[in-house]
Amino acid sequence: MPAVGPRPLRRLAPVPTLLAPRFWAMHLLALVLVAAAGWLGTWQYDAWQARRAAEASDLTRVDPLPLDAVLGPDDPFPGDKVGQPVILDGTWVPDGTVYVSGREHDGDEGYWVVTPLAVGGPDAAALPVVRGWVADPGQAPDPPTGRAELVGWLQPAEGTLERDQDPSDDVLPQLRIADVIQHVHQDLYGGYAVVADRAAPGAWPVGANALNPGTAGLAPATLEQLPDAGRFTALRNLLYAIEWWFFGAFAVFIWWRWTRDVLLDEERDEDPAVAGQ
Amino acid sequence: MKKLFNSYRVLALLVGVLLAFCALVAMPLKYLATDGGDLQQFGESASILWVAHGWVFMIYVVVAFLLSRRARWTPGFTIVALAAGLIPLLIFWVEHKVTQRLRAEHPELAPSGTVA
Repeated sequence: MPAVGPRPLRRLAPVPTLLAPRFWAMHLLALVLVAAAGWLGTWQYDAWQARRAAEASDLTRVDPLPLDAVLGPDDPFPGDKVGQPVILDGTWVPDGTVYVSGREHDGDEGYWVVTPLAVGGPDAAALPVVRGWVADPGQAPDPPTGRAELVGWLQPAEGTLERDQDPSDDVLPQLRIADVIQHVHQDLYGGYAVVADRAAPGAWPVGANALNPGTAGLAPATLEQLPDAGRFTALRNLLYAIEWWFFGAFAVFIWWRWTRDVLLDEERDEDPAVAGQ
Repeated sequence: MKKLFNSYRVLALLVGVLLAFCALVAMPLKYLATDGGDLQQFGESASILWVAHGWVFMIYVVVAFLLSRRARWTPGFTIVALAAGLIPLLIFWVEHKVTQRLRAEHPELAPSGTVA
């Protein structure tokens, strides 16, 4: 073949060729495959998250332990005991009742009603207990007094930089021990509890069996922090999700190779000089 | 070509064994053996190999696709070769077929020993 001057090795046909109706079926197939793989991957990914959330909430239904077996008055919060059900036996400190703002219940914003419970004697260190939720502090029933025995889910104290803007009232923006301690005359534990409305099967002081839990007239509060699910929980779903997305990407790759082939073929058909190659 | 061909054969064998084990041993045990029995438990835990199959199959698909381009398989045969990783036992036949064809077209791929 005589030299005809420099020319690109592979000159592709113009891209609009690909938009010809006879190729629509292939484009459609590629779209369907990518969409299907993407959807299946998302489905597995959601399943992964859902199963982990389910396991985390199962962990709140392990057998309750006595509080002193988990957390002492001066102990730092044990990181692996988030959401651990504990049996609380003590005396309410009604004067220490506070309301924590910005808490949701069924989509409504309201307040947590928190009353410290002196664990042991009335002057012993107290654990703030979230008794429930109320839309407005004015509607909250009078705090309970006297002895109580109940099961609560242990939670680490909250603490961001959000300060209590008005320390003189009973409303706090966060359940911070440093803020709650302004409202009581005793020491506080380094965490708080949410009154449990269910527990593992057994003779636990939960629900109707709880003694003076102070939940009457309040909606149950939801846990802010659930325990961590195990690292390998539902890992299979995550691996499947990655697989599906990989196959989606592979379908795109094949489609791209195919478009190149089509464009090269068109070029050969139009240019006999290339056809001989 | 030789590397690709060898990788393909190893992957095909792996996918084939994993798929045959999962589909023909683990799955029937998991669903058909007496609930809670040893065999059923074994089937249940062995089902984790489905994940292994999926991941090896991913690599298999890529290698098979590259090989199909290099060896200029027809689109039909390419699809059969790719899908063979999902149908129990089919892949052994496909692998045999691929080996025969490639060796016929590329004598250098013959088993070592016959060709230096």
